[in-house]
Amino acid sequence: MFDSLIIAVYSFARSFIGIITRPYETYRKIINKGTLWELFPIGALLSLYFGINALVKAPAFRPFVLTRHFVKTSVSVVITAFLISFLLWSIGRVFGGKGQYKRFFLGWSYTLIPTFFWFLFTSLLYVIIPPPRTTHPTGIALSIVFLTLSAVLFFWKIILSYLTLRFGLKLDLLRILGILLVSSPIIALYSIAMYRLGIFRVPFL
Amino acid sequence: MGNMNDAFYERFQKRWMETTDLPPQTVGPLTPYYKLVTKRLKVMPLPILILLSLGVIIALFFLLGSGVTFLTSLLQRGF
Repeated sequence: MFDSLIIAVYSFARSFIGIITRPYETYRKIINKGTLWELFPIGALLSLYFGINALVKAPAFRPFVLTRHFVKTSVSVVITAFLISFLLWSIGRVFGGKGQYKRFFLGWSYTLIPTFFWFLFTSLLYVIIPPPRTTHPTGIALSIVFLTLSAVLFFWKIILSYLTLRFGLKLDLLRILGILLVSSPIIALYSIAMYRLGIFRVPFL
Repeated sequence: MGNMNDAFYERFQKRWMETTDLPPQTVGPLTPYYKLVTKRLKVMPLPILILLSLGVIIALFFLLGSGVTFLTSLLQRGF
């Protein structure tokens, strides 16, 4: 078990660099050869964010409040990851996709890395330079930098999500667009529900 | 020598199986353009993504003006 975990951490490190430098080839490897053990390092990385999020967002610096906030965020993200990936996989199967859910889920888990970076970067910036941004030239310059970085992470996330659907379900572009068209209203409704429940303002997808 | 050729052939076959696992993507008359874009996104896409994002955000700035600061404030509270 310990050996499997060490191998998984090594594979995760390689895939982590790979999804930046060679996303296409890396995703083929993740879907075909990856193991579910790799979910542990991904989970550890996300837990780091949940901890920081609790420190930044919890209304009081008390162990109970911090723990409650940590548990609420982490459970919500885990449930969201399962629901969204299962939704996409199920619709993908209807569109003629082939592939096991566990392989698809592993691929989807790696798409949480750009999300992790966005949430981490936004949390840290919230502490260093809290909003609102002013219309002063420095405020506009910072806004352009912030939005550009957000867009880079967003496009990176789109590429990884596309590769998850491409390799995880062995589908072509047209069918993938069809899946996104069908799933978007459901994801939008889910995001609104999360917003109303006060869990996510921007959904951690 | 024979063993080396076998090993080489096996490696080639494995790689061939990997790359032909999915049928090539075509998008009708747009296929050459699709290939041109995806070729650049398959290896080290970050420089292209940075340029693309900067272009999109500068266009957004010309469209919304200082309204981009409102969008930033909204997103900054969004985590």
